[in-house]
Formats: sequence, structure tokens, C-alpha cells
Amino acid sequence: MAEMTLTAPLRADGREPGFLQRFGHAFVHGDVFTKLSFFIWGLGYIGHGQLIKAVLVTLVQGLGLYYLGVAGIPNLMKFGTLGTVQMEMVFNPATFKNEVNDYDNSFAILLLSVIALVVIVALIAAAMAVVASNYQLQQIRQAGKKTNNFRQDIRVYLNEKFYVTLLTLPVLGVVVFTIVPLFILIAVAFTNYDQQHMPPNSLFTWVGLSNFFTLFGGGQSLSLTFGYAFGKVLVWTLVWAFFATFTNFFGGVFLAMFINDKKTKFPKLWRTLFVITIAVPQFVTLLLVRNFFGDNGIFNTMMSNIGVTDFLHNIGLLSPGVDHIPFLTSNGWAQVMIILINIWVGVPYQMLIATGVLMNIPGDMLEAARIDGANPVQMFFSIKLPYLLSVQGPALVTDFVKNINNFNVIYLLTQDVFVTTDQAMAASSAKEVDLLVTWLFRLTQEQYNYKMAAVIGIMVFIICAVFTVVCFRFINKKEATFS
Amino acid sequence: MKKQVSLAMATVMALSLAACGGSPSSSSAAAADSGAAATDSTGSDATGEAASWGDVTLTMWGAEEDQTMLREMADAFIAENADKGNITINIGACSEADAKDNILTDPTAAADVFAFADDQLNELVAAGALQEVSLNADDVKSRNLEGSVEAASLDGKLYAYPMTADNGYFLYYDSSVISAEDAQTVDGILAAAAAAGRTFDMTLNDGWYIYSFFAGAGLEATLADDGVNTVCNWNEAPGADVAQAVMDIASNSAFVSAPDADIVSGITNGTVCAAVSGTWNAQVAQETWGENYAATKLPTYTMNGEQVQMGSFAGYKLVGVNPHSANVGVAMMLADYITNEANQQKRFEDRQLGPSNINVNASEAVQAAPAIAALAAQSDFSDLQRVGANYWDPAASLGQILASGDTQGKTTQQLVDDAVAGITAAVAQ
Repeated sequence: MAEMTLTAPLRADGREPGFLQRFGHAFVHGDVFTKLSFFIWGLGYIGHGQLIKAVLVTLVQGLGLYYLGVAGIPNLMKFGTLGTVQMEMVFNPATFKNEVNDYDNSFAILLLSVIALVVIVALIAAAMAVVASNYQLQQIRQAGKKTNNFRQDIRVYLNEKFYVTLLTLPVLGVVVFTIVPLFILIAVAFTNYDQQHMPPNSLFTWVGLSNFFTLFGGGQSLSLTFGYAFGKVLVWTLVWAFFATFTNFFGGVFLAMFINDKKTKFPKLWRTLFVITIAVPQFVTLLLVRNFFGDNGIFNTMMSNIGVTDFLHNIGLLSPGVDHIPFLTSNGWAQVMIILINIWVGVPYQMLIATGVLMNIPGDMLEAARIDGANPVQMFFSIKLPYLLSVQGPALVTDFVKNINNFNVIYLLTQDVFVTTDQAMAASSAKEVDLLVTWLFRLTQEQYNYKMAAVIGIMVFIICAVFTVVCFRFINKKEATFS
Repeated sequence: MKKQVSLAMATVMALSLAACGGSPSSSSAAAADSGAAATDSTGSDATGEAASWGDVTLTMWGAEEDQTMLREMADAFIAENADKGNITINIGACSEADAKDNILTDPTAAADVFAFADDQLNELVAAGALQEVSLNADDVKSRNLEGSVEAASLDGKLYAYPMTADNGYFLYYDSSVISAEDAQTVDGILAAAAAAGRTFDMTLNDGWYIYSFFAGAGLEATLADDGVNTVCNWNEAPGADVAQAVMDIASNSAFVSAPDADIVSGITNGTVCAAVSGTWNAQVAQETWGENYAATKLPTYTMNGEQVQMGSFAGYKLVGVNPHSANVGVAMMLADYITNEANQQKRFEDRQLGPSNINVNASEAVQAAPAIAALAAQSDFSDLQRVGANYWDPAASLGQILASGDTQGKTTQQLVDDAVAGITAAVAQ
């Protein structure tokens, strides 16, 4: 059974003859049972003397076909329009209940259709795998050998082919929890699923690429500022991800070096202190910090007591009408503060990693450098940093991508606090400090604009994918030259 | 990456659902052995209700602070209707402000009966998440304040049961600093506050409050006929002058534009002597200022040398019924019951919530509460909160600019023009 679902992707890796070739060959040269097994999987196995397998395999096929018959096909028929019958409800005073017509639910149609498509692809691939496996059985029998009985088959999957058994659940999980939702999200980007088209009460339908045109400034009045807001948010997202990643990286490295320095006393105490900050949940820290830096928060009171606020007035960093430092409420201040606060939240992790990596630098390398008369700065830039980068390069790339999607820090620090003064951004419910994800979150959560959220989601995905691919290419080349 | 987004969203959704999760509790195993009593199911013909309801399970969402009270009301309802059916009522916590978000996530899975703020009515109706009141509607209309019935209606159809009439904002002040006469004008309040070295606070960078200046000058921001987009004429005369007037107020050293939490802390630590806010902060002010606590309608402000009365959003809290409920009829009976005269009285006594019921509202005890009297006085200058989703961010942004005084080189006319462009932009089509 596991073989049915799994030989497909595994053998398609392209060892020897391809999956399709083998299927074609098997189907052409197979006997009657092998050929029949394409349509009813069990028949082949019955013909080749594997009864239990035949029953199990037919059961799986039956389940798949049952789904298609009951839910898959009926919904796929409506897939083109995503439903045509609007919900109507009438209260019946006699029964005390609402009477509802037989309406279409666009989202259910979309969901069940996508599942149906996945099931169809899986069934066809599995059928091909069944034919190939039956051809094998046929050849074994033609050679006069005995085919495996069920118990022997099981033993094979617990021994030689144990990897297949191990991978079954994860692959199923990926399909159910990642691939299907991903397809649905992508599909939503091509519909008009928003507040005015919310199932079950109303229908939504396909609109082609018009949401993407909206994003890039074509069409209606809204989209003009939508494209503008998207551009500004994108730039800040990249700026933020760059600074957040590298400030944390270097902050962590320097911290680790200071703590590991031979002259530092009680290194374990310092390390523990920094690790303790990890133990406090991030959102607690962030919400507290948000209050510290509020317009009337503790930090502002302190600043004005010791005269920093006046000083900033004098050098012209604060406009005279403002009697507090707008740490989190004014554009430029907030962007800098967010990056600084993020250092505090993120540096301990990087410190731990850097400590490990730095300890792994071969001692003789440093020793040799010291004998050659290199000073600590030279040693850092010529030995430690390249070493760190070569080890941590991939981690840095994932950190960058993680920061592009760093919802917590931005949302918790600015939600309900930061109000934009850029009216064009406000018109698209965006703020200067928004990342694509936080903007996406508010668009969907507050405005139920699922279609634009899906579009932005796809754009974020593309940005992250391109960045990752480019970076890994670059790192691979670098690594080659380094070693 | 994509997965993280969807995961985060799923988590948030799960959390918000959990926040509104039901807390199943006492149900009355109503006497199934009604026997002979069942025969005299007194035909209350007027409502045309079904003779027997059978087994009915309902879920009701209400504010966290109301849970105990709602349980008592639900138990009374169960006892009263024990002869009609075996009713079980589960009560979950979901604040009136968040009702829409939780219901629209999946209307079919939401509570049968829920409390919500009246500004969510349009979106709930548009999403098909509100049952038109089809039992006893005339009685509901006649027993509640006109404004509250209007707030619960759309296109002449009644969609919800008015519950409270105190969800607006007004002025409260420390009368040891500000005289009743000073409290009539913003200028008077600011002068008195400045003399005492204290401040007058209001949240300017919030669409809900900034509305009051423009509405007071006769300008409008309201829902378009399609029920989704917003109509707004703040950029017509005298909109630019209103913006200037707000900037003048904001630049006064005795004025502070502060968020809600800061107003509360300002009142308790003594820096604030007057504030524009709602009943939810009035209690803090009452405790801090003691008998010097006074509340009244919003003051007038100076625009082009003339006094203009500030307007406001009038807010009501309503009880709605989910049309997807399997027992819509009983759900309507329950919603009707928890908002009737006796229960509005109870709500005022237990929780000091201002009633929308005409009789209860007219009672001496209610009229004596300063906050409710102030809201009643303000009601002549208040409008129903009917704005579309695109109203909030541009209006807040305008308020933020006016509060900061930094116009980014734009004239006040350009500021209101840009705000109106954002507010009236079509909600994504």
C-alpha cells in the first residue's frame, strides 16, 4: 500500500529508466493482469497471487474514487464558476427554524476541488506505479521464482525499504498541511474573495490577473496608492531584514568574543544573564518595551528629567511643538527603535551560536597568526569572520528570510501605537513600519481582503525564494574558494 | 515562508476562537415529565411560536465582565420556558468590540446569540451573519429608544435587539479646577487647565474621536448606499478651517493628544483635569476625583472666531441572532428576553450599563448617573457610527498630522483633500 503512494516520487528521481518509461514499458509488455491493474489495482495482484495486497490496494483506490464521486467531481463541475446559487434564507414561524435553499459555497467548492485534483493526480500516479510493480511481479513469476507473500512484503518495508515506511507519514503530512493549503492560497489570489464576497452568504468567482494589476498600480483609484504602499512597505521590509539580520549577527559575535575573552571575569555569569532574556517569552518583553518607550512612558519621563529631550529640541532633532521623544510613534524614530529593540531580543541566540562556532576555530590557526604578529583586529577580519561566515552563511540567509516575515517584533511594538502621517499609505491601511506580513495580517484580519492578502503572500514567497536561491548560489561559490 | 504566514494566521484564528470559546455550564434538565401541564401550552398566539421546542442547545457570547450576569439571565430564561422544551445554554466570552471579527471568521460556527457594538451591524448584515428580527419586532421597536432602534436597523428592517445606549463619548472633568461654565468651551477648559498646570486630554489620532470636530461643523462621514464604502465631505467648506482649529487646539500647551491608556494614567496621577472619553474610563475619573467628578456634553470649539458645538458618534450595544443557528426561533426568544425591560434594569444595577429601554432609561436612578446624563445631553449632537472600512486609517492619519502640527508642507485644504481621497476610496473590489 505504501508502495503505491511512494514509489512514484522516489523513483521519479531519475535513476536508470524514468518512472514514465518504466510504466510505458510495463503497460505495453505486461500480461492481461498487469494491464487490468491500471484500472482496478487489485486485479493485477490477484492474478499474481498477492491477495491481501490486492484487497488493501483496491480499498485505497475505492476510497479515492468514492471521494471523487461523492464530493470531488460534483465540486469540480462547479470549479469553473465557483458556484452560481446564492444562499437564501427564510424564517418559518411554524417550525421556528430558518429554511435554507440548496446554495453553493464558493470556498467549499474551491477547497474540495483542489483536494479532488490532488486525489486525481495521486490516483493516476499510483495506478502507474501499480502497473510497474505488477510487471515486476509478472517477470518474477515468468522466471519461475516465487513472489513475496504479504508477510514477506511487510518485512521488506521494515528492513531494506524502511526509508519508504518512514517517509510515508511526513509526505502525507506535507501534502495535506502544506501543498493543499498552498494551492488554495494561490487560487484565492485569482478570485474576488473579499468582504463583499464572503461565503457562505455570497459567492466569489475567478477574476484572472486583475488583483495583480491592482497591486502594481493599474486600474481603479484605490490601486494607485496600493501600489505606492506596496513599494514603500517592500523597501522597508528589505531594509529591516538586512539590518535586523546583520545587527544581530555582529552583535552576537562581538558579545560572544567579549565573553569568551580570557580577560573577562565570570564568563559563565554573563552568558547566563543573556540567556535568561531568552527565557522570558518574546511577546512579554516586546509589550513591556512598547510601554517603556511610549510617548508618556518611563523612558520618556527619564529623558526629559535628565534633559535629553531639551537637548534634542536644541539640536533640532525634535520639532518644538513636541514635548516627548516619539520613540515608537514617529516614522524615523520608530524604525530605528524597532531595529535596536530587536537587537536586544535576538542577540542572545546569536551569541550562543557564535560561541559554539568560535570555539571550533582550530587553535593552531590563531596561534600561527599570533606568532606572525597579527593583531586582534587582523585576526578577526582575516580568520574569525571568514570562518564564521562560511559556517553561518546558510543560517544568515534563513535568518534574513525569517526577518522578512518577522511578524512578532513589528506587530507587537507598533500595533495601536503607531499612526502614520503619510496619507497615501493610510489610504491603503499601511504604515511606514509595516512589513509585508503585518500589512497582510491587518488587511485580512480587519478588512477581510483575502484576495489581496493572497497576492501579497505570493509576492513575499517569490521574494524569499529568489533571494534564497541567489544567496545559496553565491555561498556555494564562496565556499569553494574558501576551502 | 508561506507556511509560516498561514501558520501564524491559523494560530491567531485558533486563539481568537479560543478567546470566544464556549464555557459549557449549568443547563436545566427541564422537566420532561411536564405531563398534564403540557396540555395547557397557553397559545401565545401573538408571537405565533411553535408549540414545543424539543431539545434546544444555544450558545451565547457576551463580554467577559458580563458572564455571571448572563448566566443568571440564561437560567431565568430556561426556567421560564421549561414547559416548552429542554433548553441548554452555553455562554462564551467575546467582547462586543471583537464580535464581528470572531463571527465573520466563520458565521456558521459562531454563537447563536451574541452581543456586539452597533457599528458592526452593516458588515454583519452584509455577511449574512444577522437574522432579521421576525418575532415580536414591533414590541422591540416600541420599548427601546428611537436612536437605538435606528442603530439596530438597516433599510427599515430590524436586525438586532438594543441592549445598552452608553457606547459614546462625552466630557468629564475635575470640577475643582474647571467650572461648569468653563466646561462649555474648549477655550475655557484649556485656560482653566493651564492655570492649574494640568491638561485636557483627548485622543486625536483616532478616527472615532477626530470625527467630532468635523461632524460638529456640519460635515459628514457616513456609509454610502452600497453599505460598504464611505461618503465624506470633510474637504468642503469649512473642512480646512476645522483642520486649522484642531491644530490650534493641539498646539495649546494645556492640551494633550493621548491614547486611552495614557488618559487613565493621567487621571490617576493627577496631570489630567478634563478628558473626552467614554463610560469605560468614567469610573476611574469618578474614583479619583470623588465628588468633584462632573460629566457633561462635549464643549464647543473656536473655528474662525465662532463657537462650534462638537459632535460625536453615538454608540449602542446590541444583541444579534445568528441566522445559521439550528434553533433560530428560540435564539430570537432568548435575545428578546435578555434585552427586555427587567433585564435592562438588572444590567444597570449589576454593571452600571446605560439602558436603551425607554422605561428604564427614564427612571430616576439612571438619570442621576452623571455619565448617562452627559450622554443624553450629547445625544442631540451625535450621529450613528456608520462608516466603511476605509474610513479608519485615513481619518486616524489626519488626526495624527493635526495633533503633531507637522503638515508636511501641505495646506490644511490639501490635508483634508488627501484624507477624503483615502476615506472615500472604493473598498477593494
